[in-house]
Amino acid sequence: MSPLIFLGRKTLNTLESLGRSAIFLAQALCHLPRLEGARLWLRQMYFVGVMSLPIIAVSGLFIGMVIALQGYLVLSGFGADEALGQMVALSLLRELAPVVTALLFAGRAGSALTAEIGLMKATEQLSSMEMIGVDPLRRVISPRLWAGFLSMPILTVFFSVIGIAGGYLVGVDWLGVDQGSFWGNMQGSVIFMDDVVNGMLKSVVFGVVVTWIAVFQGYDLVPTSEGISRATTRTVVFGSLAVLGLDFILTALMFGEF
Amino acid sequence: MSDSTLVSVENLHFSRAGRPIFSGVDLEIPKGRITAIMGPSGTGKTTLLKLIAGQLTPDSGSVHVGEDNVHRLSRQALFRMRRRMGMLFQSGALFSDLSVFENVAFPIRVHTDLPEHMIRDLVLIKLQAVGLRGARDLMPAELSGGMTRRVALARAIALDPDLIMYDEPFVGQDPISMGVLVTLIRRLNSAFNMTAIVVSHDIKETLSIADHVYVIADGRVMASGSPASLREAQDPRVSQFIQGKPDGPVPFHYPSKNFYEDILAPSEVS
Repeated sequence: MSPLIFLGRKTLNTLESLGRSAIFLAQALCHLPRLEGARLWLRQMYFVGVMSLPIIAVSGLFIGMVIALQGYLVLSGFGADEALGQMVALSLLRELAPVVTALLFAGRAGSALTAEIGLMKATEQLSSMEMIGVDPLRRVISPRLWAGFLSMPILTVFFSVIGIAGGYLVGVDWLGVDQGSFWGNMQGSVIFMDDVVNGMLKSVVFGVVVTWIAVFQGYDLVPTSEGISRATTRTVVFGSLAVLGLDFILTALMFGEF
Repeated sequence: MSDSTLVSVENLHFSRAGRPIFSGVDLEIPKGRITAIMGPSGTGKTTLLKLIAGQLTPDSGSVHVGEDNVHRLSRQALFRMRRRMGMLFQSGALFSDLSVFENVAFPIRVHTDLPEHMIRDLVLIKLQAVGLRGARDLMPAELSGGMTRRVALARAIALDPDLIMYDEPFVGQDPISMGVLVTLIRRLNSAFNMTAIVVSHDIKETLSIADHVYVIADGRVMASGSPASLREAQDPRVSQFIQGKPDGPVPFHYPSKNFYEDILAPSEVS
């Protein structure tokens, strides 16, 4: 096969896959969580959101502690260690909480979603559901999508809060930064709309993209053990790259001064 | 399509990854009868069931179920149509997170508003029919292959569909279960006037219950008729298949070069 044909085929396949995933998302989003589907949605919120909490909490704690430690080393050199609270809060709210939460989410919940849906496809459970007259997009995909969309911002809030607590532990309790300065500088410098809301907007976008990638990869995979393995890997790789790429674009749009 | 026909397949063409599976298949499934679809492995019998159910789309040709042209229905209409169908998958395809009871109750719960005690009664009746009432609390992972398919059958008939499609219903069944299943398929058909399509390799059992048989090979209907007429068919391909002879016009081996030349050829492994 000539390189030109190979390139053309690859491009067409990629475009076709993007088209299929867009139609898939549109069809799945038509099914809003309804009262009778609330149980399914809550169950997925538990698996996708609550079960991700331990890894989010532990990561948030350590990242907050590391920022405080590194920040203290730099800031104390200029005699500005009172600004530690501001540094910890801004780093977490603007960047680290939404990005790291999304990366961890892709690795834990995203890969689990892909593998679960893929296995349901490989064992013909999705086909049998169709034959019973139940649309898998409504019954299987929609609750997982909405659970992912809603879990990500909530997990991001947990990450930020626990990260700030970690920063406080290291900065105030261990390194001796003044408690009043730590909180006061944070309150004085963090602007709700610019920092908190923008950070949450990022997490909403990441939640949509990562969950979309995860469920589509599961639904569209080749139903073999190798197919499931490849799709799970693709979820983590595509999800992580999408988060990092989108983070740059969103940061440029939100904070760039053009 | 006549009033006595439930499913009508006309000039069906279907290919997968460029390989033609069907090249002009025509067949009719009469209402209230058991129709068997037989043929060598890889001829697309399961694919035909999926085309009838609208899970696959043909390249050309049409499939009508009742008045509905299956592949022209909207997604919602297709799902409505499938409520009148049941399908027994080769793998059983039970929902792995639900117990045996809940698997059978699933279609009743999603399509009816029956009270819980009635759902319980209906599920137990269906499980009793397949001999697995006592296994109601087991999870699918705890069932053998044969039991899985019997639970799947109970689920497929949970809503007493007009049409039921059996994909290899006898595979993996012990002789006792096999006999019960054969009787059950026959009884469902005669008691509830349920139309059945049976895809199977078990010639003896299938011919014993089928009213009409289609033999498919090379992408076309090779022969059709009553079980008796097929047993006496003169066509060497049909008689080879029906009598299970290893030698005949239908090759056992996948196309390849001469065996001796292949064995004596210089090794391809470096």
